[in-house]
Amino acid sequence: MLAPYLALLLMFGFAPVFYAFTLSFMDTFEWVFWGVENFRLVLQDFRLGDAIGNVFTYVAVWLVMLVLAVGGLSLMLDALAPRPAAVLRTSFFLPGAITSSAIVVVWLFLLDPTVSPYAPLFKLAGLETRSHVVAQLGFPVVFALMAFLAHSGGWIVVMGGALKGIPTEVLEAARVDGATPVQTALQIKLPLIWRSLALMAILAFATGIQMFVEPQLMAMAGSQYSRPDWSVNQLAFQYAFTMGDFGASAAMSVLLLTAAISISLVVVFGTKFYRTD
Amino acid sequence: MARSTGKHPLQRFTNTTVMWVILGAAFVFYMTPIVWLLLAAFRTESELFSASAFHIGSVDSLLATWNNLATYNDFLIGEWAFNSAVYSVGGVSLSLVAAVPAGYVLAIYDFPFRRLILVLTLIAMITPNTVVALPIYLQMQALGLTNSYLGMILATAFFPFGVYLAFIYYVTSLPRALVESARIDGATRFEVFLKIALPLSGPLIALVGFFSFLANWSNYFLAFVLLTRDELYSLPIGLAVLISSSGALGNDVASDIPINRPEAIVAALLVILPVLLIFLVSQRYVRAGLLSGAEKG
Repeated sequence: MLAPYLALLLMFGFAPVFYAFTLSFMDTFEWVFWGVENFRLVLQDFRLGDAIGNVFTYVAVWLVMLVLAVGGLSLMLDALAPRPAAVLRTSFFLPGAITSSAIVVVWLFLLDPTVSPYAPLFKLAGLETRSHVVAQLGFPVVFALMAFLAHSGGWIVVMGGALKGIPTEVLEAARVDGATPVQTALQIKLPLIWRSLALMAILAFATGIQMFVEPQLMAMAGSQYSRPDWSVNQLAFQYAFTMGDFGASAAMSVLLLTAAISISLVVVFGTKFYRTD
Repeated sequence: MARSTGKHPLQRFTNTTVMWVILGAAFVFYMTPIVWLLLAAFRTESELFSASAFHIGSVDSLLATWNNLATYNDFLIGEWAFNSAVYSVGGVSLSLVAAVPAGYVLAIYDFPFRRLILVLTLIAMITPNTVVALPIYLQMQALGLTNSYLGMILATAFFPFGVYLAFIYYVTSLPRALVESARIDGATRFEVFLKIALPLSGPLIALVGFFSFLANWSNYFLAFVLLTRDELYSLPIGLAVLISSSGALGNDVASDIPINRPEAIVAALLVILPVLLIFLVSQRYVRAGLLSGAEKG
């Protein structure tokens, strides 16, 4: 019964990682082993520093937005009666349907003052064209907005679950002691969902540093938005597809994988995930 | 019951007002794009610019837009939609067949390497799939499985999150005694799964299917590297190609094909609507599942 899954785990979990690891030490033009040459090559790439800077700026902006908004909105929803809370939660969750390349398409419209429903806001800020808006906000903020609209609603639902898990006796005791709803939210509920918020931030960080789709697709709006080497994953892609250097691409992927798997290990061994065992 | 001891009524009023203002602003922020998009699909290119943002267009405009989309490379967008459906149905079905029994076995039985498989599953689940897309491409290239339905479906059938969900589900809601008594009665392990566990797994299958569909349908990077022939593209890849090649959202590609902003909006809706519909249909179900999962986690 375990066999089909094990086969997939081996083929798409273990094998690609192992294969990329092997390739990263090979000259894939001559197919000979050449040690850490690929790593030296990609680490010396002058674009890498900028790409790392871009990605970290984006992740920082996104995480701040995510933690503040998801934490705040979840606590507010938890203070409401079940029905309005459910309606609002659903409305926060629905934009999650805007996925993949459609996220970028939709935002290219939203950021264009000539067609955007947010046009009054842009007018207020004196921004008249999309290039003004994008220049004003900066790419990291634009990508953070894209990720936020698509993913924060799902996390608000998850936090709703975590808040429901708080025993009623605890909340009752707080009320008896005279705590206001705000005090209850900040001093009782927040510390109890802090772990969930931290987990969310770690997972968002792990996903964020791998970003590819958003910067890659900005070119849809024309060459002035094209940033083919904005993120680290884009660089890895370029090595494979533009330069045909699979070894260097594998080396870049291995570096990203090392970061991603290290984060995974911290989460797996540092949280309750494992204790359901 | 005595409500709200202490605090001044005015303070309480202010807190409530501030809260509703923030929630209202959030509601507007989240709902605006979807409502705007749905309405914009009924408008012509010039109406998008001239009319107010929430102007309601006409069905005729939508039909004209659709007609332009359909004539793009002999209804290539139809092929993309078909491909997306094949990739998703194939990927979701295979992921269910693989993940549900695996989660069951990991939850119910003890065997060598069980813990190792669990840990590997969790690591694979947390590691973002974009990071393995290129390694998977390199491997599939070596195996000759790029540009094929089979390659895409196999690659997306690996869904460790589904195994985790199944594992949690069986640990928390399948009574061990039920399994043990069936075993004593002489049923094989597979029979127990088929006749006892599976009939109780409706909510689990819905939940795993839901997330697996979402992951499949919205997969971009993997499809982008595995598929290079345009007749094999999925809808999300096709959408990006359609817009890039026509210059619908930019102004530096001069093209005479009738793909402009309305076509871009309707094509984007083709990617969005299936997910939106599934959200609306299953939201109560999934939310209940998520909530119970979160409570137990």
